[in-house]
Parts: sequence; structure tokens; C-alpha cells
Amino acid sequence: MRRVVAALLIGTAVATVAVMVGVWWAPFAVGIGIGIAYPRTRIALPVGAAAGFLAWGLLLIADQILYGIGPAAEALGAIMGFGRQAAVPVILTCTVGLLLGLTGAWLGSAGRSLVKTPARSTS
Amino acid sequence: MAAAAVASGAILYASFFGAGPLPALGPSFNPTTGAWTMALDASVRNETLRLAGLDKPVTVTFEADGTTHIVAQTDHDVFLATGYVHARYRLFQMDLLRRQGEGRLSEVVGKAALDSDRFELQLGLLRTAELEWSALAPDNRVRKALVAYAQGVNDRIAQVESDNQLPVMFTLLGYHPKPWTPIDTLVVKGDMTQTLNFTDTPLVMALLQKSLGSDLTAQWFPVLPPNPQSPYDTGPYAIQPSVVPIVATAAQPVSEQAALAAADVHQRLATLPAGFVASHDGASNNWAVAGAKSTSNGALMAGDPHLHLTLPAIWFQLAVDSPGFHTSGVGIPGTPGILIGHNQHISWSLTDAQNQQTFYYLEKEDAAHPGEYLWNGLSRKYKTVAYDIPVHGGPTEHLTVKLSVHGPVITERGQTTSVWWAGNIPSQDLEVLMGINQAADYQAFRNALKGWYSPTHNFVYADDKGNIGLISAGYYPQVAKGQPWLPMPGTGEYDVIGTIPFEYIPQSYNPPDGFIWSANQRQVTSEYPYYIGTASNFFDPGYRANEIRRALSQTGKLSAADMMALQADTRDFLAAEITPILLQAMAGGTTAGRDQQAADLLAAWDYRMEIDSAAATIWWTFWQEYIAQSFDPWWKAKKVPVERSEMNDALGQYLETLALAGKTVCTPPNCNAPVASACPTAACERLSLTLAFRKAFSSTTAKLAKQLGADPKKWTWGKVHQRVIENLAHVKGLNYGPRPDRGDANTPLAAPGLPSSHGPSWRMVVDWGAGTFQGIYPGGQSENPASMWYSNRVDTWWRGKYAPMLTAGQASSSKGAKTWRLHP
Repeated sequence: MRRVVAALLIGTAVATVAVMVGVWWAPFAVGIGIGIAYPRTRIALPVGAAAGFLAWGLLLIADQILYGIGPAAEALGAIMGFGRQAAVPVILTCTVGLLLGLTGAWLGSAGRSLVKTPARSTS
Repeated sequence: MAAAAVASGAILYASFFGAGPLPALGPSFNPTTGAWTMALDASVRNETLRLAGLDKPVTVTFEADGTTHIVAQTDHDVFLATGYVHARYRLFQMDLLRRQGEGRLSEVVGKAALDSDRFELQLGLLRTAELEWSALAPDNRVRKALVAYAQGVNDRIAQVESDNQLPVMFTLLGYHPKPWTPIDTLVVKGDMTQTLNFTDTPLVMALLQKSLGSDLTAQWFPVLPPNPQSPYDTGPYAIQPSVVPIVATAAQPVSEQAALAAADVHQRLATLPAGFVASHDGASNNWAVAGAKSTSNGALMAGDPHLHLTLPAIWFQLAVDSPGFHTSGVGIPGTPGILIGHNQHISWSLTDAQNQQTFYYLEKEDAAHPGEYLWNGLSRKYKTVAYDIPVHGGPTEHLTVKLSVHGPVITERGQTTSVWWAGNIPSQDLEVLMGINQAADYQAFRNALKGWYSPTHNFVYADDKGNIGLISAGYYPQVAKGQPWLPMPGTGEYDVIGTIPFEYIPQSYNPPDGFIWSANQRQVTSEYPYYIGTASNFFDPGYRANEIRRALSQTGKLSAADMMALQADTRDFLAAEITPILLQAMAGGTTAGRDQQAADLLAAWDYRMEIDSAAATIWWTFWQEYIAQSFDPWWKAKKVPVERSEMNDALGQYLETLALAGKTVCTPPNCNAPVASACPTAACERLSLTLAFRKAFSSTTAKLAKQLGADPKKWTWGKVHQRVIENLAHVKGLNYGPRPDRGDANTPLAAPGLPSSHGPSWRMVVDWGAGTFQGIYPGGQSENPASMWYSNRVDTWWRGKYAPMLTAGQASSSKGAKTWRLHP
């Protein structure tokens, strides 16, 4: 459990800092790292997804605290064609972070098993 | 592994490149550098900034509503800071405006904008801007201002790029703004010229003449307006002997080829977005009252230019103070200077003068000499200019524009047709604007306007000495011969040979009545010796001008409050003329039930187009119905290829004139005499004005009952007439409205269209006696929809209220003011 929490915290921290400087795909890279580093897919996937979700979500919370994102969310909802539904862009933003982390972890995990399976067959 | 790779690939693809209508999700929604940056951009705070290129420190103060005051120690710095502030709040709008004029919209929005880009490159705003720029000497003050302004814009572009804080629409469309150049500013100026005075009216007239025949066309779409008018310059007129006045002669036939060419261009223009061709919807009012007729004993001035209302607005409100400029008013983002406003001694506003500045020429070609045309007896080669149009998501489009001596070839379908447009003549309008901004009296104001070419504007003037004036400044092209309201032969004899000399253009200074006005009406009487355009589709029908003159003519002195009331006035002059005649027609019959109820409502009406007025709805629907019943049979019989509704202004003027004389039009077929009294009974169905009015009224009430229910009292104007202020990027969710609103196309409070998206884009009232300056525009200073300055002024504007135009000192001590300190 401690390793899971550590992976989540480190992954989230790295992804958040990277996203903050404009590297928006950082959750995907972090997810790959988690997928490769963590042996169990059932754990790696949610951890990767959570790291991506938190990285983008925390920055959104920071925006809210610093400037207030309500009017921006409403405007984005309108631009997206959902009227002034503020929830839509917020959900979409967090979902993008989540999906980047999740698919990264999935790819990392699948890659790890791909490397591991031939190794087993030759031993 | 395969499933993971596919899922990752799909997510990464959508994140990097987008999918379908979705933008690239990663960069677009990144919380720190994507679209969410509009939250930071929307915050307003005190700031200290360093701007490259400044000479000395500059102070920028924002009032609580966003009105901006720039105080600079050099003129150079005031233009640089203006560029920075414009870009800070309107960068995307500025980029759209330059892209539109330069034919570069497809580069960011794809092939949907290709027609627009092709047309703009054909027309030549970019070519003209380049010529204007190249004509400016290195030490020219306009050149220096343009360079400083561009530097300010580029300072902002560099800032957003380095901070990863691109405005939201750039992020969502996935492109970066290119550096701003002085030529971009000149193109934006060209956009406005095009919006206000490029027209296809001669082509429309050709299509009408071809289908209706020359007699009907001349009768329904005459050169001089047939209905009562209120010209502000009533003469006497002197004729300048060196320019030959144009006299209407025998009708010029329109060939099949010319009609084909006209139809081609007309259809092309009809598919382009609003604003590419001047329309009557874009009308305006202005007037001034002399100190002697004012309650404050100082001159009064009011101006409200009517344009397409958008968010962000076309205007940015600004006050500048520098050694050479002390001006306050509104300007256009992308350009330096104040277009409408006041300085310490004078105030000015403008309306479109509406005279003809677009002429079409049918080039004479010979199949034996391809690529050549005949002009003044000689065969000449067309010049060509080649353009590449980058298209987002598609291959680059190549375009070759042919140019004759008259101007760009606009179509080669049917007959090669080129267009002579005054907007294509390089002009130094910014020099004129600077002159106006610095003028201290009428003489300086008038001298500055001598250099104004296009678009022709009615510049109203008032000063701190109680003087008033109006000058319809600009080019009034004169042709050697022919009928310029139709496409003319391009062989040389019909060319534009000059313009009316400045001394003889419409103008007036301190008129004896003590007031002066313009509302896009023909400025002069039928005695004026020069051709300046036909009544239809050049000048306004004149109802707003008539109403404004009526209101200003009333006895007693006038106040600033009266000026404000008149800007919000909803009295329909045409309704006041026609309704009594209609009621008379109804009284003679056996009107009953619903029709009688509707007639009773009209009888008690004050002719004001108010939201809760059912009579207003009945009147408006009746007049549209009457025009339709009078002319639709002709349109059908003659197979007219122009929408009848496009010509409603002119047809309405004709019907109004007949109705005032107790007549109406007769109906086809086999009848070429459209006035009922002249109808030969054997060939035409006779219909008296009374019967025609009753028939249209009956249709009106039936139509309204179907649309709004059986009770006429519930047919209120607000149910059918709404106003919407549209988002510039066509995002419906960011529109303001639609909401029920007052007025119509004929009222001083202009609100044409159902729904209406045109109207007073800026209202200003000046009282030099009281020293008060007030203004408002329907929008906000910021294009950022998350900003409190996106649409914060709309409600005030809607209620007919104004905001005081403060001095920089007053602004800095006003509640909620914020300050930027700009350092070199």
C-alpha cells in the first residue's frame, strides 16, 4: 500500500510540475513509468489514471483559487456548444488528464509484460 | 499490448491533433497554458510592466467599466501604448480583421473561408494597403505612429508567447498570431471602408433593368428619391466648370453577357458573411445644435453610428493625453487614433454619406488577343498578381488576379467585368484623423477633411464656441458620360474622370435654423448639379432623417437630455405618414371583428415602435404585406433574379409616394404602366389604393392571428422584434440576447431586421455649455468571454443610459480604477 501511495504522490508531483510548464502530455509519460515500474496491472492502471487526473485537476483548483474559473468554465461550455454549462469543460479537462495517465499506465504495463513474457519462456 | 497501443494512440491523437469538431485536447485544455488561461487574462489588477520601444514611462488607467486612459510623455509612446492595450484586450479580433482583409482566413479556419479570401484578394485591400505604406516618407508622422502602434501590439504578442498565455481562440483554433505590421493596420482600415461603401448596386440595377425593363426600373429605382426628403445642404449650389455634371439619358441596354456577369458577382457576394458589402442595415445618425438653440448656451452634438453589433464590439473606448493629443472617444482595434470623439475644443461624429463609390466596367475583349482588352482604342494587356492562399487542413490554393485600368477583374463569367472602387485609391485617412484629433476650430477641422477620400462620411462638428457644422467629406467620383448606376463599357469613354471639388461637396456651417443633421439621407436637393448616386441602395429612404429634423425643429431650446431622448426615439416617420391614409381606407369599408380591433389599435397609436405596442406590429406587418402584394406579382411575371425583399427600401419609397398621392401600383401581366391611375383597363387589373390597403390589411390580421393568436391586443412588437448582439466568432452561446427590443429600420433608434443585429454601435452626446461628454457602446472592452468587461456595458446601453467620458485625472480617482505603469 505504501508503494502505491508513493507511486501516486511522486507520479502526481512530476506530472503536475511538467504540466505547469506546458508539457501537457506529462501524465501519459508518468503513466508509462508507473505501468513499467508497478508489477500489477490492476493497481498500475488506477494509479496512473489518478496521477493524470490529479495533475490536471490540481492545477485547475489552483486556477480557481488564484483567479476563479467560473466565468471561464461557462465561456468554454458555450464555445463547446453546451450553453453556459461550466461543469462540461471542467469534467472534460479532468478526463483528458485521467485518460492520458490511464492509457500511459496501460501501455507501460503491457510493454512490461511483453518484455517479461519472452524472458520467462527462455529461462 | 495491441489494445493498449490502440487506446494510447487514439488518446494521444485526439490530444495532439483533435478529432472532428474537437480541438487538440492536450494544448487546448491544459489548465496552465490552454484555454483556461482566460481566467488569468480576465483578472484586472494594478500592474507594472516593461515594454520594449517606449521612450518614457506611461500611465494607463482603467475605469471600473474598462474605459482606458493613456497618459504619455511623447506622441510616439501614446501610439505604442495604444497598440499594447488594444492587443491586450482585442488581439484575436485584430487578427481576424487583418486576416479577412488580407485573404488569410482559410489559413486558420479551413476551406470554409476560401470564397471570402479569394474575393478579398481580388478586391485588393492588401494591394492598396501596401501602396499606402510605400507612399509614406520615413519622417512622416503617420508612418511613425503606425510603427509605434505595431511595436505595442508586438510587445503584447511576445509577452503572451513567452508566458504561454495565448488568448483562448488562438488556443482552440491551434495557431499563433504573426507579428503585427503597419500594413496590417492599413488593411483593417480598408475592412471598414469596404463594409461601409463597397457595393454591388450597379450589378443589381443591371439585373433589374434586364428583367423589368428600363421603364419600370427607372420608375421604381430612380436616381432622385421620389419621396419627401430632408437634405441638410439645401444650396444654393455652385457648379465647378471643370467637371461635367451627369445627366440621365436614354436607358442603356444590358446585354445577356453583362447580366450573366452581374448575376455571378451578386450571387458570390450574397454567400459571403455580413460586412463585405455595404448595406442599409449599417446606417447611422448624427446631429448638432448651435449654442443659440441650446439650454446650456453651448453647442450640443449627438452621434450614433449604426453597425453590425458584435461581442467584442468594433469599438474600443480610449482617452489619450500626450504633448500632441488630448482626445477621448472610440477607435477601432488594429488602428491608432480616435475615430469619433472630442478633444479640448471640438467634438465630431460621423455617418456614412452613402454616395456611389463603386463603379463596374464591362471590358471589351477580342478572342484573337487573349489576355487583352480594348481601352481608348488600344489593346492593353491585363496586369496580373498571383497569390497563394494557405488552407488549414487542405492544399494551398493559387489565385491569379487580373487588373484592368479600372481595377480588379471581379468576374469573367458572361462578360469580363472589373470594378473601380474608391476604397482602392491609396489615401492617408490616418493623417486626416490626426488632423481632426488636433483641430481646435472649424477651419482646422475642415482643412483636415480635405484629405479624406473613402468611405465618404458625414462628419458632424460642434465646438466650445457654440459653432456647429457638417461636411460630407470624401470622393464623389464623376464619369465622363454614361449611366454610372449600371455597369458601363470599359472602352475609355465612360471612365471616372475626377471628383467633385471639395468646395462643392455637401457641407454646412452654422446654418440659420441652428441645427444640422444626417442619417444617411441624400444630403442635397434635386437642384444639386452633380450625380452622387441613385436613390435606391445608395442613400437611405430618409425616414430617420425626416424624424430627426422634425424633432429638432420643434420650438424652444434643446438640452443634452433631449439629444439622448432622440437617440432612443422610436417614432416611425413612415408610419406617421401612412397610418392616417390606411385608417381612412379602412373607415370607408365594412370593417368588423378582428380587422376593426386592429384598426382601433392603429387609430390610438402614437407611431412609436415600443415593445408593448400591438399597433407597432400591425403597422410593420401591414407595410411588408402591402409591398409584397404590390410587387410579388411583378417579380413573378418578370422573373426578376434579385430577391424582392432586397429592394424593399426603394419599393417602399415608391409606394409611399403613390399613397401620399392617393394611388397604388397595378398588377401584371401585360401591363407596363405600374401606377394604377395610368393602367389601361383592358390589359391590367384596376385596384384602387383603398382596396389595395384593405386587402393587405386583411392579410396582415390573418397572418398575425395565425402567428400570435386571435386577440390583436396581444400582438405586441416585442413578440416579433428582438435584438441580438452576436459573438464575433459566431459562438451562439456567447451572444447577448436575443431579447425583445424597441425600434425598427426607420426609427432614430435603429433596429432593422427580425431579429435585429444592427443598431447604434456607439452613442455619444456632448454638451459644450455644461462641459459634459457622455458615451456608451453595447459591449465591453475585452474580447475574453470570461472577463467582466466582455459585455458589461450592454445593459446600460439597452436602457438608453450613458457613461460620463472622464478625464484622466477623474478616471484615476474614480471608484474601482486600476493602473498600469509602463516602463521602457
